[in-house]
Amino acid sequence: MRYITIALSKGRLTELSLGLLEGAGIDCTELKDSSRKLILSDEKNKIRFFLAKPSDVPVYVEYGAADIGIVGKDTLLEEGRDLYEVLNLGFAKCKMCVAGPSALEGRMDEVSITRVATKYPETARKYFRHKRKESVEIIKLSGSVELAPLVGLSEVIVDVVETGRTLKENGLVVLDTIADISARMVVNRVSMKMESERIGKIIEAIRSQL
Amino acid sequence: MKRWNLYTPEGVQDILFTNCTQKRMLENKIRRIFRLNGYQELETPTLEFFDVFYSESGLIKQESMYKFCDSKGRLLVLRPDLTVPIARVAATKLKEEDFPVKCCYIGNTFSFDEIGGGRQNEFTQAGCEILGTATPESDAEVVAMAVEAIKATGIEDFQVDIGQVEFFKGLMEESGLSPAEIEEVREFIDLKDFVSVEQVMERHQVEETLKHLILDLPKLFGSKDILQHISCRNIGERAAKAIENMKCILEILEDRGLARCVSVDLGMVQSLNYYTGIVFRGYTHGVGFPVLSGGRYDNLVSKFGKNCEATGFSLGINMVLMALERQKKTAVPDDGGCLVTYEEGARKLANDFCQALIANGMPAELDILQKGMDAARSYARSKRYNIIIKIKRDGSREEILP
Repeated sequence: MRYITIALSKGRLTELSLGLLEGAGIDCTELKDSSRKLILSDEKNKIRFFLAKPSDVPVYVEYGAADIGIVGKDTLLEEGRDLYEVLNLGFAKCKMCVAGPSALEGRMDEVSITRVATKYPETARKYFRHKRKESVEIIKLSGSVELAPLVGLSEVIVDVVETGRTLKENGLVVLDTIADISARMVVNRVSMKMESERIGKIIEAIRSQL
Repeated sequence: MKRWNLYTPEGVQDILFTNCTQKRMLENKIRRIFRLNGYQELETPTLEFFDVFYSESGLIKQESMYKFCDSKGRLLVLRPDLTVPIARVAATKLKEEDFPVKCCYIGNTFSFDEIGGGRQNEFTQAGCEILGTATPESDAEVVAMAVEAIKATGIEDFQVDIGQVEFFKGLMEESGLSPAEIEEVREFIDLKDFVSVEQVMERHQVEETLKHLILDLPKLFGSKDILQHISCRNIGERAAKAIENMKCILEILEDRGLARCVSVDLGMVQSLNYYTGIVFRGYTHGVGFPVLSGGRYDNLVSKFGKNCEATGFSLGINMVLMALERQKKTAVPDDGGCLVTYEEGARKLANDFCQALIANGMPAELDILQKGMDAARSYARSKRYNIIIKIKRDGSREEILP
């Protein structure tokens, strides 16, 4: 039997993903032993796992290097990979938003926005191009995006918002919601067909816990 | 300043000796099976006018094409696809009495970020088209040809999924959704994202049977029994016809003994503005992308001014090579071979001997290095020759292992 390979996002999704897999009868003890091995396996079920940077998970799955992946919808939106998105796992919920100074609240359509700072350049570009029909300059940042409007780098930002506290403390407000975000289970298009029985079982076992 | 003289552009590659031999062998196997099945090969130019590929529906996105100008300032492209040029040929070069035409091609196509090539920008496609007939027999014929072509490559474990775009189009027509909503539903079905399909459908008053069928679409893949369970009541004439058409094609494939290789996926809803009937894709282990894709495209040829039904498929040669490599099935070419070396004064004898070997179909070459036995040995090893023959002045031969 072939191994089914699962790519998990390193970080806040890891624990919850492992919980679901264990609930589906997959043995994850090797992964919990925090060893330095990069690929771990459940020999009984012939399943392999590895942890990857979240933004790399859709890439592994698209190329078929992993059959299944667990990753946030924010990453999927940004990467735009050709995958099956079979389950909404419901955890790690937040929203992809456009945010800016409160002076802009309710006035998005009146003012013309020229610069947008974000960690999600593709998502921001698509939103402004298709939904708002505006050509804007996208400025890619790697962290603390909220800073950008405060120091005059950009008028607005596009980022994920969980509680909105960071925004509030910096005098920023949500101007528009782009999408609801949560963790998703994705499957490679070929694996879904070639291993439909085994992958179908895993999907069902996880779906039943949601 | 020459900054890029040592590099090849993104997405293109040099294919060196062993790989190239393997690729040519593969192409020859495929060409042979096409020809044995009555498909005639044709070649279209690598360059075409941009207008050939441009369409309102955005069939091929302009940003995925390599563009440049000819000497008169007209926009040219490196062909991103081989089916569209064949449609052009069918409409402009073929005469009425030529139809139906069964043709095939093997050639390179060019595209930025094309998935079909596994993220290569230049990739080789081999394919067949049947022009001028709309029978289920012709659709079954191209599916069968696709299966035969995969088999000929040496891949044993594969699967071909068949869908029918008219089924989805029919259901949508019946549902009364707006074009924007249809596109939304299509995207979610394509992603097999059940939940989002449900969210969209909840916003609408759609008749129950129909609604359930639409919600089920992402799940409607697997064995052909799926078709038996679909009730054709209340789904509209167009969708019902599509199901009948699929059943008919699957029956023909069964008669051809191919039932084991094919399965059904009614959730295949890509390229709706291109395909007009069945669509199919072939998969195998080791590559995350389909190795082949095809379907019926009855409206393409009319773009060039002539109505002509058509159906066909294309196989990604680079994908197949990758699959064969991952499945450890790459055929290593081994024709044996011989290095002919000689003593001083035996050059003519050696040349005659070498030419005789070549005439008999044995790869052979004369030792042009003339640096002695050790050099000859190492050269023969590098070429994987299995023997070195030394010709002596008196015409006698000595056989030496490399």
